[in-house]
This record gives sequence, C-alpha cells and structure tokens, in this order.
Amino acid sequence: MRTADRLVLQTVRRGGPWLGVLALTSVAGSVAELALPAVLGRTVDSLVAAEPASGAWLGVCAAIVVVAVVCDTLGVWGAGAGGAQVSAWLRHRILRHVLGVGPAMTRRFPEGDLVTRIGVNAEEAGRAPEAIVTGAALVIPTAGSIVALSLIDFWLTLTLVAGLTLIALVLRAFFHATTSIAGGYQEAQGDIAARLVDALAGARTIAAAGTAAQEKSRVLTALPRLRAHAMDMWRANARAGVQAGAVVPLLEVAVLGVGGLRLAAGDLTVGELYSAARYAVLGAGLGAALSYVNRLTRARAAAGRVVELIGESPRTYGGQSLGPGPGTLELRGVAADGLGDVDLVVPGGCAVAVVGRSGSGKSLLAALAGRLVDPPRGTVRLDGVPLPALSPEALRRAVGYAFERPVLVGDTVADAIGLGLDRPAPEAVRAAARAACADTFVRRLPLGYDTPLEEAPMSGGERQRIGLARAFAHGERLLILDDATSSLDTVTERQVSGALAGELRGRTRLIVAHRVATAAAADRVIWLDGGRVRAYDRHRVLWDDPGYRAVFQVDAP
Amino acid sequence: MNRPIRRALRRDPYQLIRLGVWSVAETAPALIIGLAIARAIDEGFAAGRPGTGFAWLAVLAGAWLVAAAGARQVVLAVASIVEPFREDLLGHVVESTLNRSAVSGRGPDTAAVARSNLQVELARDAFASVITVVRSFVFTVVSVVLGLTALIPQVLVLVLPPFVVGLGLFLLSLPALARRQRAFLLADERTAQAVTAVTGGLRDIAACVAGDRVAARVGRQVTEQAGAGRSLARVTALRTLSLAVGGWLPVLLVLAGTPWLLRQGAGAGVILGALAYITQSLAPALGNLVEGLGISGVRLRVSLGRILRSDDPARPAAGRDAARDAGVRLRGVTFAYGPHAEPVISDLDLSVPDGDHIAVVGPSGIGKSTLAALVTGVLRPDAGRILVGGVPADRLDPAHRVLIPQEAYVFRGSLMENLTYLAPASRDAVEEAVTAVGLTAVVERLGGYSAEIRSGLLSPGERQLVALARAYLTPARLVILDEATCHLDPVAEARAEEAFARRDGTLLVIAHRLTSALRARRILVMDGTSVRLGGHAEMLAASPLYADLVGHWNPTDTQELVP
Repeated sequence: MRTADRLVLQTVRRGGPWLGVLALTSVAGSVAELALPAVLGRTVDSLVAAEPASGAWLGVCAAIVVVAVVCDTLGVWGAGAGGAQVSAWLRHRILRHVLGVGPAMTRRFPEGDLVTRIGVNAEEAGRAPEAIVTGAALVIPTAGSIVALSLIDFWLTLTLVAGLTLIALVLRAFFHATTSIAGGYQEAQGDIAARLVDALAGARTIAAAGTAAQEKSRVLTALPRLRAHAMDMWRANARAGVQAGAVVPLLEVAVLGVGGLRLAAGDLTVGELYSAARYAVLGAGLGAALSYVNRLTRARAAAGRVVELIGESPRTYGGQSLGPGPGTLELRGVAADGLGDVDLVVPGGCAVAVVGRSGSGKSLLAALAGRLVDPPRGTVRLDGVPLPALSPEALRRAVGYAFERPVLVGDTVADAIGLGLDRPAPEAVRAAARAACADTFVRRLPLGYDTPLEEAPMSGGERQRIGLARAFAHGERLLILDDATSSLDTVTERQVSGALAGELRGRTRLIVAHRVATAAAADRVIWLDGGRVRAYDRHRVLWDDPGYRAVFQVDAP
Repeated sequence: MNRPIRRALRRDPYQLIRLGVWSVAETAPALIIGLAIARAIDEGFAAGRPGTGFAWLAVLAGAWLVAAAGARQVVLAVASIVEPFREDLLGHVVESTLNRSAVSGRGPDTAAVARSNLQVELARDAFASVITVVRSFVFTVVSVVLGLTALIPQVLVLVLPPFVVGLGLFLLSLPALARRQRAFLLADERTAQAVTAVTGGLRDIAACVAGDRVAARVGRQVTEQAGAGRSLARVTALRTLSLAVGGWLPVLLVLAGTPWLLRQGAGAGVILGALAYITQSLAPALGNLVEGLGISGVRLRVSLGRILRSDDPARPAAGRDAARDAGVRLRGVTFAYGPHAEPVISDLDLSVPDGDHIAVVGPSGIGKSTLAALVTGVLRPDAGRILVGGVPADRLDPAHRVLIPQEAYVFRGSLMENLTYLAPASRDAVEEAVTAVGLTAVVERLGGYSAEIRSGLLSPGERQLVALARAYLTPARLVILDEATCHLDPVAEARAEEAFARRDGTLLVIAHRLTSALRARRILVMDGTSVRLGGHAEMLAASPLYADLVGHWNPTDTQELVP
C-alpha cells in the first residue's frame, strides 16, 4: 500500500494552487463556523441588555458571516477545480500507460475490471486531496462544538454522543436491508433487459409481422415485479432517512430543555442557550466528518488499484526503420507459454497458412509474428531487423493484423480503417476497403466512409471486412490474418481470397485458417500440433498424412 | 420533452393530494419551531416557569415526530408518482429501440440497452429529487412566513426582502449553471464511453501500433472534461453567494433590528425564535432548492433528452389492406440508407407472378435483405412503387405475407406459444407444419409443445426450424425466406425449402447456398452493378458472377456446408 500512498501524495501535489486555496479557506471557514454560534449568542445578549458594545458585536457577527461566505465560495471553487485537475492528470497518466502496455493488460485484468480502474477508481483517487483537506478541516467545527458544549454543560455532550450512536445503528440496519432488496430489484431489471435483447435479435421478424405492440408488453412482463421491489426500496429508504432525520432535532430539543433549566436557575443567558442549541447541531455533524475518513480510505484503496495498473511495464520500441526488402519473416528459437521452439523462415511475398486443432497455438504464433506479443525467448525478424528494434512508425506501416472478431476503434468508418496512420489518404483507405470487399457496403452507409461507427451497426461479416481493410491499409510488408474470414459468406470469401492472391500478392501473408481451401491455396503450410511445429511444407505434401487431414475434419459438425 | 413529466403528475390526482397533505405534516416544525422556542423561553424558563417551558418544548418535539411520520409518507407518495413515470419511460425505450432496430434491420448491442436502462434510472431518481425539493421549498417558505407572522409580523420586513433577492439571484444564475452542469455531464459520459472503447480495443490498438494516437485522442476528451469541471466549479461557487444573501443576510438584519423589535414588545425568546426560523428552516430549504434544481433538474433534462430522442422513428403504421393475390411488382424502385449514401437498390423493375418460386443470389451486403425489407413494407422506397397483390407493400395487412430472416426469433415461452406467434392454429395444423419443415425431432427432444424454451436453449439451426414451422402455419401466401435456413445442413435445408415450395403461394428465397438457386424456378442475381432474372441455364449464359459461382461450387466440398 505504500506505493498507493505515494500516488495519493502525488495527487495532492498535482492539485497545485487550488489545493492551497481549498486548505486555507477550509480552515478559515471552519474557524468562522465554530465561532459564529458563540458570537451570535453573545450579540443577542448584548442587544437584549442594550449594552453600548452591542454595535461592535453586531459588526463582529457580520465580519464572521462574510468570512464564512467568502471561504465557502472559494472552497467550492477550489475543490471543484482542483478535483478536475487532479482527476484529469491521473486519467491522462493511466491512459498513456495502459495503451503503452497494450493487450498484456487485459490478460492480467478482465476488461470490466480495467474499465472500472481507469474510470471510477481514477476519479475516486483524484478526490483524495479534497477528502484529506475537507475532512481535516471539518474536525474543527465538529470537535470544537463538542468541546464548546462540554464547557456549557457536560451532560449535554453525553446526550449528544448517545444520539450519534443511535444514528450510526440506524444507518447500519439500513445497509443490511437494502442489499437483499436490491438483489430482487436487479433481477427484475435483468429480466426486462434480457427480453429486450431477445426481441431486438428478432427485430426483423417483429417488424415484418407488425407485432411490436405485443412485444412491448412481453418485454415488460417483469414491470409489476420491478415496481414491487422498487417500492420496497423506497420504503426502506423512507424508514431509515426519517429515523436518522428525527434524531438530530430531538437532540437539539433535549439540549434546549436542559439548557432551559439552567436558564431558569440563572446560570445561563438566553444567548448561551442559543449557542448550546447550535453547537448540538454542529456537533452532530461529527458523523459527516467521520464519513470523510471513510472517503479517504476509499480514495486510498482506489489509488492502490490504480497503482497496480501503473506497475505493469509498457513495451518499448527501437528507432530503426526498415530498409528495402521483400518482407522475409524469420522466427529463431521463439518460445512462449503454449508454444515450443519455433524456428522457421517465411520467404518474402509468400502466403503461408497456419493450421492445427484448436489450442495448438495458432493465434499465439500469429501474435508473436507481428509483435502483438513479445516472445519471452527467441527473436522475430522482419527483413533482418528484430521487431523490437523497429520504430513505432516503421512497425505500424510494415505489419497489418486482421482478427476473427475485430474491435473497431475510431470516430468514423474511415478512422477505423486508418487507425493510427498519419492522415491516411482517402484513396488508400478506399483501396484497402475495396480489397476487403467492404467498399460497397460502406458507401451505402448513411454518410459513407464518414459515418460515425456508433451509427453503423454491422454484422459479424461486415465487421470482419472492415478489420481486413484495416490490416490491408497497414501491413505493407506483412499481413497476419488470424481466422479473419470466418464470418464471410462463400462469395465474399472468394473475392477476399482473390484480392490476397492478386493485388496483395507482393506482401508476405500469414493466414491462420480452418478451411482446406485456404491451406491448399497457400504457398506453404505451418502445421501446429500441441504447441509445436509438427511440419512446415506444401499442402500437397502434407495431405498424405492422415493426421494432417484430421485437422480439417474436426471443424466439420 | 415535458410530456412524460406532465403525464406523471396528472396520472393519479389522489397521490398529489396525499403528497400535499403529508407535506403539511412534514413541514410542521417549520411552522412551529420559532414560536415554540420563543414561548418556551419568554413564558417558561426566563419567566421562572420551567413547566411551561417544557410544555412548549414537548410541542416542538411532537412537531418533529409528526414531521418524521410525514416525511415517510412523502417519500412513499413521491415514489408512487415517479415509479409510473419510470414505467412510462421504460415502455418508451422498449418501443423506440424495437422500432429503430426494425428499420435498421439489426439490434443495438447489449451495452446500448444497458445504457438506456441506466438513463431511465437516472431520470427517475432526478425526477424524485426535483419533486421532493421544490415541494419542500414551497411548503417550508409558506410555513415560515405563517410562523413569523404569528411570532411578530414586523420581522417579515427584515427577513423577506433579502430572502427574495437571494432566491432571485439563484434563479437568474440557474440557466448558466444548468448549461455548465449539462456540459459537464455530457463530457463525463463521453470520456467514460471513450475509456470503455479503448479498453475493449487494446489488442486492436496494439496491432495498429496506434497507442500514442489513441491516447492523444482520448486525452483531448479528458482535458475537455476537466475544463468543463473547472467552469462548473466557478459557477457553483457563484451560486453559494446567492445562498449567502438569501440565508445569512436575514440573520444579520434581524440582529440589527433587534432593538427595534424589542421596542415593539418582543422578548429575547422572540429574537431566538426568529433566528431559529431562518437558520433551521428557511436557509436549508433554499440550499436544498439550489442543489436540487441545479443538479437533479439538469440531470433530469439530460436523461430525458437521451431517452426521448428526436430522431425516434415513428411507429410503423400497420397496414390493413387485403391483397388480391401473392404476385409482387416493383417499378423503378430506388432505396438508400441516407441522403448521402449510395443507393442499395436503384431503379429496379421486377415482376413476380402469383405462385412463382424465385431464388435471390449475390454476395452479402449487396442489398438482398434490403430487397426483402422493401417487399415486406418494413422499408419504404425513395422512389418507385412496390405492389403486392395490387396493394402498396407498406399498406398490406401483415397477415398476407411472412418474412423469416436469418436470425430466427425465439422468445421465452412455451414451444406452442412460439409456434403460434403469428397466427392461431389447431393442434393438427401444428403437427403438420412440424412434420413438413422437419422439426419433429426437436419437439421430441424438448418433451412436447408445452416445453418452456428460450433462445439459449436451442441451437441456431433448431431456432430456424421453429421460425420456419411458425411461418408455415400462417395463412400468408407470400413467403420470403431471407437466408432462413443458413444454420441447417443441406438435407434439412432442402426439406424445409421444398415444404414451402409445395405450399400454396409465392416463394422468395434469399439463397445462402447455391443449392437453393437450383431448386427455384427462376434466379435473381444481384452483383452490385446490375440485377438480372432468369432460369438457371439462362443465367449461366447471362451473368458472369453466377457462372463463376456455379463453376466453383462443388457439392462434395464439405467446406461449403460450414459457412
């Protein structure tokens, strides 16, 4: 946790002058807040007694009110602006880091967890400085009030503490109750969402049959259940809120009663009675001060989760560029978890199929060949240059990856295809899309290539074609297709294969495939079996081996 | 946009009355507090009559207890108003998502559904908070004014003017505050979405070595959000000033006016009472109003704006016209998915006589499903006419035609409910349809027609068989199979398709495999530049794409079976 504390300290430093403003105004404001009841009480006494000093007391009151208001205003500004600054700094840092580490991150943290860490946890950690300052400053009026109250009458303090304990117990009971109610509530919500997703899958059936109204009531079957659970939650909420809300005023009434007796006895002035009542209310705010401790604990835990992200080391790049070359891919003594010693050369411009049963390491080999993953042992060279020595720019232009389920990143369809490229020419983007048989359907989108991705819902096959186009736009020397045509229909697949064998022929192609036809069309085949290269030869030669033929039969149903 | 709010408030007047009555109870302390404190001191403790003092304090404590009971009922009344409001919104979300995906032909992803559900939750909570705060403010102000009047009416001169000025200042700053709050909420949502997108795409970003650029792009959003946060903080800080004027200035004025009030016959207790009214009731109510309207009000507007998007497609009006027969005629039909998009279908003429059997062939994305959607009237052409049995396709009674898309729709319910979804049918008719399309084995496996099924319980092929049997059961004479058999093996596909070919009426098959074309009477080939219709031999000669497909199609190649 020590590194988490260091991160919290860094956030405090990053808050800059805002945090200073916040600290100063919080302390000054707290002192003013603590002083106000006493001064107000004294002023009332002085006014009632018509003392000559009453004017001065009134002035002091006004001054303290002005200080409190100014501090409050600046404090709100400082907390908001400082918080925004710190959160932004943290987010920038985490984002750069996570993107620098790359997919290795998702191997260690599940995707949902990662989103939480970058989003919610970063924000919580960003609130640490505010929690420290405000929490510390809040102790002044609350603890001070209790001291002030004790000075007036010790029994009042005891009454207060008893009341606070009562509030804590009530709140605890509330939290127990809500979790079980929330479970049923979320279940009903989940039922509605699941039915809606079902109905959306059948949207065309429903539209053609004109049964939308019927579907609406089917999806909302759980609505009565949802309402019942929701009302339970409201009831629990009402009970707890009401109990907690009544305690403080009743405490104040008790303080007024005890104080009233002392007043009748002449031990207390009217103004002091007023002060006592206000201090009781302020002192009851101790719970709020304690909640800041809680917030700080949360911020610290959040910082810990953020630090774990930053602990991963980002991958590094060299500065070399590629000289002229055909795109010869060379794997020397490459080994990784799940893949044994791989030693082979793919001659430049060749098409090589990678085949094997599922789990034999095909995707891992594909990942290693283009530096999606660095091998723990061995080296991968492209035209003689080890991949880690290449500059990001060189690697980006040399290697293109296409996946079975590509995730499209970017604002528009054109952005998604030219991801990472430096202002790609529209013509190049279009040529890549044409080769991937994506041009026709992209041009038919509402805004063509400029259609925002979120407004271009795509089928699996269409997304695969955009993914292929992206690979074609990048990999000028080496294309790595990891099962990237599995969702294409026969006609389209034939057209993509045609492009691979035609206009993209000059590039080295590594194609992970399940179909016999793909292996047969490749120049050579890498046959993987149990994480080892079983053979590296022509399809025709391998076909005689029944073990090789069996690889393709597994996939048939 | 305010329609759901108005509906929610008008739905059940009883709840509004209940809310009003319990609000009076809830604000009882605001009416009584100053008076009780003043009397307890002036007539009780300070007058040496502690009994009277305690009696007044007991009244005050009683008022707090009444308030507690009232607060509870108020929460429940608010809940009874906002829960129907939520149901209204949820219904709207369901309806508009269904309509939207009917038009686009594809459903949004699960994440989008989750996002709109979240917006509904947020809107409900914000609405509840706005009702609570505004109502509490009104009742409290009225109570305090009544209380002060009972205590000593002169004090109103000192309290009300600064309070009204403070309230006015807040209301003046509200539009600017709402703008900033809205900008901040939107920036926050955009950043969250960008972060989610980046996290999901780490592999792909690394594969394109695009980390730096993506970091810069998302970084701009983060910076923008921080800027929105800073300017929100600035306006929020100014807002606290209006609270100071409305909440603190009355306190100072009452103190300054104390000598005058004492001359008017007020005791020390009356001064304390007046201060109690201001600090315990009036100022907190103003503070809550400022918070509630400034944050929840804006949240409500933003969420409602999200839910009630202006581009919601109108609910397609169900056609009611009966068709003369099941012939289909297209005249000069052109269709594009947007004014700037290239047309998917342009100037298409097509004549399918009643009883014909046509297969549509072409690469995916070429517009085959669009053609199916046009013929079923789900999409309307930009130009030209589509007639089914002499009736425009979009005015045809849906009972006259049936479309089975690739993604078979199976919902949670019994198998029988699923089969008779489109038209009621007798047990015998169901048996016949099940046998005809080849669903018998599945019915047996599931254990009969009363078996509860849902999408995940059946394989894609079994789901398609259910959808096929369901379509077979309808009286519709125009049947459109849009790759409706793609998950079946060739034998099962042939059986199902032949069942429909034997059935009375017109059959339009969008072919997934070429075998479907060989079974059809005529073949429609779409290759992106032209559309041709003819028999098998005719198309072999006329369409290079078709010839190419047939030439490379090898019935013994098992790969063809596994798309």
